[in-house]
Amino acid sequence: MGINWIGLYTMVRREASRMARIPIQAFIAPWISALLFIFIFGSVVGGRISQIGGHRYLEFVLPGVLMLNIVNAAFIQASTAIYFSRFIKFVEEMLVAPLSYVEMIIGSLSVVVLRATVTGIGILLMGIGFGATHIESWPMFLFWIVSVSTVFGLLGLIVGLWSKSFEQLNMPVVFLLTPLSMVGGVFNTIEMLPAKLQWLAYANPFFYFINGIRGAMIGFDEAPQGLGIGLTLGLLAVLGVTAWRLYATGYGLRE
Amino acid sequence: MTPALSISHLRKVYRSGTVAVEDISLTIPEGEFFGFLGPNGAGKSTTIHCITGVAEPSAGKIEIFGIDAVKNYREARRLVGLCPQEFNVDPFANARQIVDWMGGYFGMGAKARKERIDYLIERFDLVPHQKKQFRELSGGLKRRVVLARALINDPKLIILDEPTAGVDVELRRVLWRYLAEINKDGRTILLTSHYLEEVERLCRHVAIVSKGRVVREGTKDEIAGSPGGLENAYLIATGAEPDHVAGQ
Repeated sequence: MGINWIGLYTMVRREASRMARIPIQAFIAPWISALLFIFIFGSVVGGRISQIGGHRYLEFVLPGVLMLNIVNAAFIQASTAIYFSRFIKFVEEMLVAPLSYVEMIIGSLSVVVLRATVTGIGILLMGIGFGATHIESWPMFLFWIVSVSTVFGLLGLIVGLWSKSFEQLNMPVVFLLTPLSMVGGVFNTIEMLPAKLQWLAYANPFFYFINGIRGAMIGFDEAPQGLGIGLTLGLLAVLGVTAWRLYATGYGLRE
Repeated sequence: MTPALSISHLRKVYRSGTVAVEDISLTIPEGEFFGFLGPNGAGKSTTIHCITGVAEPSAGKIEIFGIDAVKNYREARRLVGLCPQEFNVDPFANARQIVDWMGGYFGMGAKARKERIDYLIERFDLVPHQKKQFRELSGGLKRRVVLARALINDPKLIILDEPTAGVDVELRRVLWRYLAEINKDGRTILLTSHYLEEVERLCRHVAIVSKGRVVREGTKDEIAGSPGGLENAYLIATGAEPDHVAGQ
């Protein structure tokens, strides 16, 4: 049996319709947050900090801010969509339809990537508008948006299947995503950290995502891009297989 | 001839350890109008969930028109339409979207979908309500939307889990007429209902389940023809006391 393209497209249409019902939460909030970062780090703090690697502080910070918003958008989109559909039980509409588990996952991830890309492009345009950034490599910029949003989309699906309450749904954001992303080199270079703590940054996957998109945007990086790409592809493989396995066994989906 | 639905020794044990279906075997020929009766908790909905993929069978085999419903679930599900007992619907979507999305999941093209939706919306008197959010509709209208959704892919096997619960007499009659019509056209229907007059009126074959097992099965005439009619046969089969016994 071939791929159910119309079914896949329907999943995208459906989630796009849900996003259209919540434009403030989906897009306006991250854009306003990025605008505030541009103001604070461009005018208030940025003027008092010397250049980093030949770049103004705002130029240095903005790629990290963009990545933070992509991570949040991807995780929240995937986790809330699957959790809400389980909670209200309309996930059963997909279960009774002729959709394969891979199609269900790809359908969900397509919307995740769409939301993350719109969020990221919006922030990029604001940055360009304020003269705060530019793009060194479009292919690498798109690679980082698509791959990182897919990684956190998959993580969001897994958490959305595992969660039994809204409290549990928010736990990874509070205890994992926000702390790791904040210490992942958004606001500082590794050199700025005490020597004894620098290994912590290298052990933090967020460092490689931020380093990657910073390299694609302003051409500044602190670690080989290949290492970040390898790590991201590895995470995609592990999380992809885990999500597929959960769908195939019906974990959190079927009784 | 390949039966529309064949269930062999179905067993379902939930993760909690609850045995919802002990051992159910059924064969429903194509074109049958089959009544599936039993008290609450007897295992009717769980059986339906196992047929349609909402629940995973613990043991046994289910075939839909000869296709294994677990191994070849995609092929099998193309042939089935389910109207569930509960409203498992996005409450913020409008009536038309709900039916449309289901058609999309079934791989129906835009033109075929539009024609089918227009027909069903008209048929179930949903025209003035099609743009309203599901949560704004009355109970009866919600039931109509869920019915239209179940029929969007023009399924060969239609499974209706208490489709007339909480609906008015008018819709019940509209639905009865429609079901009789599509059954006459060759569609196979599996109906669960607590309204015995509905089953007597529509079904030609009846199975009564209790505690996860089929405790009586036969043609409606056989079962309803016994003294006291279908109600009496149902009460005896499920271990409840018929009125004339309870009153003694």
